[in-house]
Amino acid sequence: MDTIGADIVLQILQEEGVEAIFGYPGASSLPLHDRLKDSPIRHYLTRHEQAAAHAADGYARATGKVGVCLSTSGPGATNLVTGIATAFMDSSPVVALTCQVNTSLMGRDSFQETDIVGITLPITKHSYQVNNVNNLASVLRRAFQLARSGRPGPLLVDMPRDILASRCEKADPPEETPSSAAEKVPSNLDQLGKIARALNMSERPVIIMGGGVKLSNACDLMRALIEKGGIPFTTTMMGVGSIASGNGYDLGFIGTHGNELANSTVHQSDFILAVGMRFSDRSTSLIDEFAPLATIAQIDIDPTSIGKNVKVALPYVGDIRETISALLNLVESRDRSAWLQRIQQEREAKDFCLPFKGCGKAGHLISMIQEAMPKETIAVSDVGLNQIWTLRTWKARTPRGLITSGGMGTMGFSVPAAIGAKIGMPDKSVVAICGDGGFYMNIQELATLSYYKIPVKIVVLNNRHLGMIRQIQDLFYEGRFNTIELGNHVDLVAVAKGFGVPAERISVDENPEAALAALARAEGPHLLEVVVDENDYVFPIIPPGQANTAMIHGVGD
Amino acid sequence: MSMEEHTITILVKNEPGVLSRVAGVFSGRGYNIKTLCVAPTANPEISRITLTSNADADFTEKIKKQLDKLVDIVDVLDYTGERFLKREMMLLGLKITPGRHAEALQALNTLGCRIVAMRPDYYIIETSGSRSENDAVFQYFQTFDVEMMNRTGCIAIPLNPKNDPE
Repeated sequence: MDTIGADIVLQILQEEGVEAIFGYPGASSLPLHDRLKDSPIRHYLTRHEQAAAHAADGYARATGKVGVCLSTSGPGATNLVTGIATAFMDSSPVVALTCQVNTSLMGRDSFQETDIVGITLPITKHSYQVNNVNNLASVLRRAFQLARSGRPGPLLVDMPRDILASRCEKADPPEETPSSAAEKVPSNLDQLGKIARALNMSERPVIIMGGGVKLSNACDLMRALIEKGGIPFTTTMMGVGSIASGNGYDLGFIGTHGNELANSTVHQSDFILAVGMRFSDRSTSLIDEFAPLATIAQIDIDPTSIGKNVKVALPYVGDIRETISALLNLVESRDRSAWLQRIQQEREAKDFCLPFKGCGKAGHLISMIQEAMPKETIAVSDVGLNQIWTLRTWKARTPRGLITSGGMGTMGFSVPAAIGAKIGMPDKSVVAICGDGGFYMNIQELATLSYYKIPVKIVVLNNRHLGMIRQIQDLFYEGRFNTIELGNHVDLVAVAKGFGVPAERISVDENPEAALAALARAEGPHLLEVVVDENDYVFPIIPPGQANTAMIHGVGD
Repeated sequence: MSMEEHTITILVKNEPGVLSRVAGVFSGRGYNIKTLCVAPTANPEISRITLTSNADADFTEKIKKQLDKLVDIVDVLDYTGERFLKREMMLLGLKITPGRHAEALQALNTLGCRIVAMRPDYYIIETSGSRSENDAVFQYFQTFDVEMMNRTGCIAIPLNPKNDPE
């Protein structure tokens, strides 16, 4: 057989260590899907391209490696868009391979032609359209390198069908890149010294960690910094789980749906060390009233994240692992017992001592799921109330043990992302926790689960409503409920069984032990529907447009 | 914050789509590109984009960082301010009624314009200068019958040699 473009693609995927990809074939992708038959790379046929993109993203988040999805041209490519945007917002390294109509048909509104490079310009780190088969190898190598370097993110490579089918010489060997094994030294020690001095001098410091800490594999160093300096810490939603909860310095996470203790502590602090985060609106709420007393130092590998949303007195651009490793030597241990005592008093008075952190019965149930499942289970949340319940109550024991769509807030993310996580981490248990709304959005992936017998466990917290929007209508739209009822007429257990996924239904008021044991024990995919009251919300919460200190505690608050 | 005009010059690799990516950095943040000029540099693989945009003071630094992040960008330079010479070019198609030739020619001479094509009843005029100079030329010839006008965006160059002390 002649070597064609498709062979080059598979050769580079193997060279990059890709073992599994998620995709969906079509007319334009045929040359590639044909050659996949003889490749050791496993191809998982999802039931929708959106799910292929989320699965690649889930794979990347669980493993730290680049996730790969593959689609045909036109609708196949556009169906990836939500998944690519989700990966982009949370800096997840994904390579999306899209196939394109033949070069000679491009620009003619041909069948299944779309300008996917144009469509995805603002939601990719970079994208390529390959117009010469001899460039395929170098473009793909570059795409993988870009996806994982710096601030990671999705890359898109669009490959016309004739390029995939045309004959070519074997791919060039990869260029020798200078070894990056040597420990790099932070480039600007002066600035780092200033940050350390400001931190050492501060009376009421707090550390805020974003998703960048996990991406840089710097969680152990952050823990060392926190313990050496005796500094309380909070995280953004993407940073939840960076450091296993419960070491006494943990304040919970900040922002609209975060913990009151975290928001209150940040508000009182005189110094913030922000690491791998961008002060998004969900973290800061009303920006003008955010942390009015604090000097802010910010460390990030992406210069555009620094000062993007707040004024930063001490910026530092660099790899977090390298930077924190150097900063660790400069930070002094200091007695801050007054500050820590003040926090401790608040901790005892605030939501940290609320039953299940303000998450009610559902929060209790999630902690019981965690007890029933093996210790290192990966939890993948969906979006909405289920997400906040999970993030507040699931005690992440490993940095990559809790996966959620933070920046994009993509409903329907959990089940396909859990598929990707399980394929990437076959030795770990994976549970997707979703609401009924998000579950409907990628419900077709039950077929993928049962077809490949992927043992992903699914818990659907069914309140028959779009719960978070219902809460907002209840609190801030005078209870004028509208367009949020999903209804009670669908038998999800029968639906799951129809897809070939064993399923069971319980009420959140019942003792769930037997059902959770069955969920944990199941050797294949398994679904547990938990009927939840639609009036169970998350408290406290920050009203839209208000400051982080304006948390309210109940419907009548 | 007050809005002022910023001039940015960007060296880019000559790849398809690079202009879209640059434009996207502006449009994605709600900024309007006011003028735009693109041409290859002495190195045919590198092009120079010079553009102007109205924005607040925060703008240049943030936009520069976003542009720097684009893969095909080689360099981004802020050419705003008095230390840079800025020029635009303008072409005018002017209908000349009998009896106004002398007046037109004298004006062209005074204003430093060139005639690049002419018929007895129609001149094509070329002029270059700062934007305000070109505005003034255009304004003056409004007294004639301007049938067509086409002008470029701004190009710019530092007034002093690279290593000159500022």
